[in-house]
Amino acid sequence: MKSNNRRSAIKNLKSAIENNFMPLVKVPKPKFIDKLKRFFMVDLLKGLGLTLKYNIGAVTDRDSVGGKGIYTEQYPKVRPDVAPRFHGAPRLNMDPETHDTLCIACNLCAIACPEDCIDVLAMDVEIVVAGKPRKKKVLDEFIFDTSRCMFCALCQEACPTSCLELTQDFELATYSRAGFVWNREMLEQGRETVKYTR
Amino acid sequence: MKSLVLVFAPINFVDALLLKFFSPETINNVVWPFIQIGLVVTLVAGWVAYATYLERKISAFMQARLGPMRVGPWGLLQPIADAIKLLTKEDFIPDKADRGIFFIAPYIAVASAFIVMAVIPFAPDWGVIADVNIGLLFVLAVSSVGVLALILAGWSSNSKYALLGGLRSSAQMVSYEVAMGLSLVGALMFSRTLSLSGMVNAQAMDSVWYVFYQPVGFLIFLVSGIAENNRAPFDLPEAESELVAGFHTEYSGMRWSLFFMAEYAAMVVVSAVAVTVYLGGWYFPFVYKFTQANGHHNLYVIVSLLVFIIKVLVVLYLYFWLRWTLPRFRYDQLMDIGWKWLIPSALINIVLSALGIFLVQAVNGWRGFKTIDSMSAGLNLTATGKALMIATGLIGLVITGMLLSRINWRSRDFNLKSQRRNIKLVNLPKGKPAVPVVAPAGGSEI
Repeated sequence: MKSNNRRSAIKNLKSAIENNFMPLVKVPKPKFIDKLKRFFMVDLLKGLGLTLKYNIGAVTDRDSVGGKGIYTEQYPKVRPDVAPRFHGAPRLNMDPETHDTLCIACNLCAIACPEDCIDVLAMDVEIVVAGKPRKKKVLDEFIFDTSRCMFCALCQEACPTSCLELTQDFELATYSRAGFVWNREMLEQGRETVKYTR
Repeated sequence: MKSLVLVFAPINFVDALLLKFFSPETINNVVWPFIQIGLVVTLVAGWVAYATYLERKISAFMQARLGPMRVGPWGLLQPIADAIKLLTKEDFIPDKADRGIFFIAPYIAVASAFIVMAVIPFAPDWGVIADVNIGLLFVLAVSSVGVLALILAGWSSNSKYALLGGLRSSAQMVSYEVAMGLSLVGALMFSRTLSLSGMVNAQAMDSVWYVFYQPVGFLIFLVSGIAENNRAPFDLPEAESELVAGFHTEYSGMRWSLFFMAEYAAMVVVSAVAVTVYLGGWYFPFVYKFTQANGHHNLYVIVSLLVFIIKVLVVLYLYFWLRWTLPRFRYDQLMDIGWKWLIPSALINIVLSALGIFLVQAVNGWRGFKTIDSMSAGLNLTATGKALMIATGLIGLVITGMLLSRINWRSRDFNLKSQRRNIKLVNLPKGKPAVPVVAPAGGSEI
């Protein structure tokens, strides 16, 4: 009687599967080779092999990109290579020979800036061109507020003399809010960064 | 070679110096043991400090990281910085703790781990502190006192996590202690002595490590040894994701680090016993021939010591390796492995090795076969006998595995596997429940 019940239950289950009544699916049973693998603990050995591979790769440090070496960057000691299109700290370039600024105080960068974070202060200088006295507009002070900058580099695009440039330097943190505002000297000389040797 | 001998001259010099002050008996029974004990304790304490460094480095390398790098070159002074930090930390004692037991538990843990070192033969001659003729029994007896420390720590902390950790550790260590003791019986049949020096000598005479005769025993010993030390994947007593820190949740500062010390010292003990019993101890082929046979006794001892240390380090690497490869077992899996696999296979191993030895003895002298060389130091077999015994060991490994997998197949995972194989949700038509609330008896209509 009991076994009969059980058989009918199995029959019901089977018909249920056939009619898509119960959402069951047959996953294939493990083959003999799978059982053999489990018996000899192949997966355990595979796992051990993986960790050993990483360990040996880290000790010899052959190929860090291939997934065998050490990934860690020792940041303050070794600086990471940022992407070539990365925009970081601004800089005012100078003529490499005369060390005069390349800036012609045209104010294009200030106009281009969507955040309005650049102030170009110009002054007039008396010069003599072809025997006649003329006035020339030269750069007096350049204020760049990095706290408002979004590093879009539109100013860099606008600059006709490629004077203003956003460099790859990414360490812009300061101890005060005033420290974010960079003047001409800072923009020309660059910030002093702490160099870690060990 | 001459210069090498000169390097070890201080040992003879110290001996000569001591003879001026003490009688030879005092030197042999009191002074040298003290020197040896001091050396062993210092070295093991140094190992414990640098084991933390190694653990962190190896785990880092296995995860493609660097590990400690800032303190000293390659972070080599990190253990010293850690020790200073631990020494200066507050020694916190919970308000409701059982103070006496709380104080004494870490010392029991450390002492039980260190006392075992007394009987381990690190090298021949003066590399042995005490050659006890019940060495193996002593090791098993004293190392199981370590469980007491964990239970006491868990109980006296008066914290639920610590108590649960202590409970788990007692259950785990008691069940694995049995398998550990049983697995050693097979090796004893070959060495015919309980003295650890005697076992090494027997393997040296035979020039075969017992791991070849006893692959099953070695595996059982290794697994239960890892479980004894509460190391991952058997680190349930201090499972940090479940029990904060297990039995030493309430400990801090130096007392906590004593538990740490005990763990690493116990690791050394278990690997040293594994090396002594199964991997030939300080014995390595050709060492005797190139040193002692040429009359360089101290060189022989020191090279043997190095061999022993290297072997122990290899086994210890296995500890780190397994820890950073395998995830923690569930509690029922832990008990499964202990009671359903290790203990039965240890029993099967005893029977099979007894049969193997019986076979070797029966074959000896039958139709000109000669298997047994001598019975003076352990069971010394001839080449035929060795081959026969190694074959028996390998066949035993297969037989044990097959027999137990056949038996344990019936009670595997409460049949969860087959259920999981059958039930899987696929291709559900929209607007219908995943599983009908009440299935009609006929099963024809929805």
